[in-house]
Amino acid sequence: MNNLTFGRYSPFNTFIHKLDPRNKIFLMIVLFVCVFLKVTVWSSTLIMAGTLFLFMICIMLISKVSVLSLLKSLGAMWLLFLFLLIIYMFVPNPAYDKTHVAFTINNYPVYYDAFIQWGYIVIRLVMMLMVTMILTSTTKPMDLTYGLEWYLTPLKIVKFPSHIVAMTLSIALRFIPTLIDETNRIIKAQSSRGVDFNHGGIFKRFRAIFALIIPLFVSAITRSEELSDAMEARGYDPYAKRSRYRKLQFHLCDLLALIVAILVFGAILTLVIYNNHFVQVDIIYWISGVRPIL
Amino acid sequence: MQIKINNLSYTYLAKTPNEVEALHDVNLEIPEGKITSIIGHTGSGKSTLIQTLNGLLIPTSGEVHVGEYVVTNKKKKNKKIKDLRKSLAIVFQFPEYQLFEETVEKDVAFGLKNYGVKEPEAIKLAHKALNEVGIDKSFYKRSPFELSGGEKRRVAIAGIIALNPDILVLDEPTAGLDPLGSKIILSLVEKFNKEGKTIIIVTHDMNIVLNYSDHVVVMNDGKVAFEGTPSTLFNGDISKYSIDVPELFKFVKILESKGMKLDISKIRTLDDLINQLKEKR
Repeated sequence: MNNLTFGRYSPFNTFIHKLDPRNKIFLMIVLFVCVFLKVTVWSSTLIMAGTLFLFMICIMLISKVSVLSLLKSLGAMWLLFLFLLIIYMFVPNPAYDKTHVAFTINNYPVYYDAFIQWGYIVIRLVMMLMVTMILTSTTKPMDLTYGLEWYLTPLKIVKFPSHIVAMTLSIALRFIPTLIDETNRIIKAQSSRGVDFNHGGIFKRFRAIFALIIPLFVSAITRSEELSDAMEARGYDPYAKRSRYRKLQFHLCDLLALIVAILVFGAILTLVIYNNHFVQVDIIYWISGVRPIL
Repeated sequence: MQIKINNLSYTYLAKTPNEVEALHDVNLEIPEGKITSIIGHTGSGKSTLIQTLNGLLIPTSGEVHVGEYVVTNKKKKNKKIKDLRKSLAIVFQFPEYQLFEETVEKDVAFGLKNYGVKEPEAIKLAHKALNEVGIDKSFYKRSPFELSGGEKRRVAIAGIIALNPDILVLDEPTAGLDPLGSKIILSLVEKFNKEGKTIIIVTHDMNIVLNYSDHVVVMNDGKVAFEGTPSTLFNGDISKYSIDVPELFKFVKILESKGMKLDISKIRTLDDLINQLKEKR
């Protein structure tokens, strides 16, 4: 349970940390869109993705997000990647280029295209992971919810209770570490009663999980009742107008980040539109003059 | 079973920027068949120390010997940890949070079943343990969540003593209980001790230390600051450990300052004081 460090907020004072959370959420969405844009020629797509990847590594370095913890969480995902690879290799897809067979297993052809498609998915997953990680480890959970609340405010017109949603979210985020501590404590207490969480067959482990989940739920529910009592005792009214100690502000650095993001987005969008609707640009051919085999 | 701790160190979040050294080169022997109190202010390493005793935390360096068992950071030697946990059982702070079964008897039998005791035998032993902690038969089929705080805690303790450990470790057993509830728990502890179990209590309550324990260990900044009998501790200079003087001891000190001659090293409970006063009369 102690290795739950992925995307945890780390208090540094970098350029990225200083950005307005509303701006960061927007930039995240822009980057997500960039990640999912695709060019018809695979080599160009991969080069585009690679450039984007380098760009994100730069952001990670600037924001002092630990690359090690990214690698660790990728390591935890190896099974998913393997599973995807098997699916792409063996599930027939009419869109695959049938003329290039990588190898055959028992006369079943595996196409190069399968690997390329798999490559797309993996690189996209990795980049999505990176973007989310940068967002959560440079933004305080509270700021993140304030940012979300701001995006939800227009919905007030249709009577959507955005402030209640934001409060619920911030409470949920606030209690994650508390629940992790609680989990560790219950694991230790049950281990003292002979529960083995790491070994034994499926049935035994299932029992073990029960011994953890039930006390955890009980304490979470007790805690939530106590919290709601405490909030009421201090006069919390979900419909009252609330003032705020920390106000979100749009700074010069936000503008700068926005410009950079729009430039990147613009460049990629131009490339995509140019490729998909006018001329198929094969970057490898451009540079080396050699047409790739596919 | 004897507990011997050699050069024990423990560091939380080792090799990260947030690492904290909770225990530093602790050497300790805990006497067999006695009640030992471990005291010290918050963050002094008491809880870390007891968690290394049954291998819930693996020491960064050093060894803990509990009878034939050893806890070290060498993986090969730690194979018998599950058996160790049966002989050295820990009752954690607020143990009522570990209850989860549908009925009281099932919850107490849960630990036994984890050690391979079959159903009818486990329930029988559970009844015996519940009887020992003074839980009435009418509670056996009830849900543990319906009980009061003190009852829950006794059920949780029953779940541990049903395993029949040789050594029982209790982390703040009286926290959050009313005086009567505390007294019930502590007299239980005394009873287990008389049955031959070694008891270790982690506590902040100096009255427990004076009244119940034979041996006391004071932890300070992850090191053992004092080891000895309670009366030596409270007679000495305790200001440096930032702990309180027990109420009874304060009273005896006042009596002494007014000219009463009492043998302070023999006073552990109110009854001892009364007896000495009677002799004076």
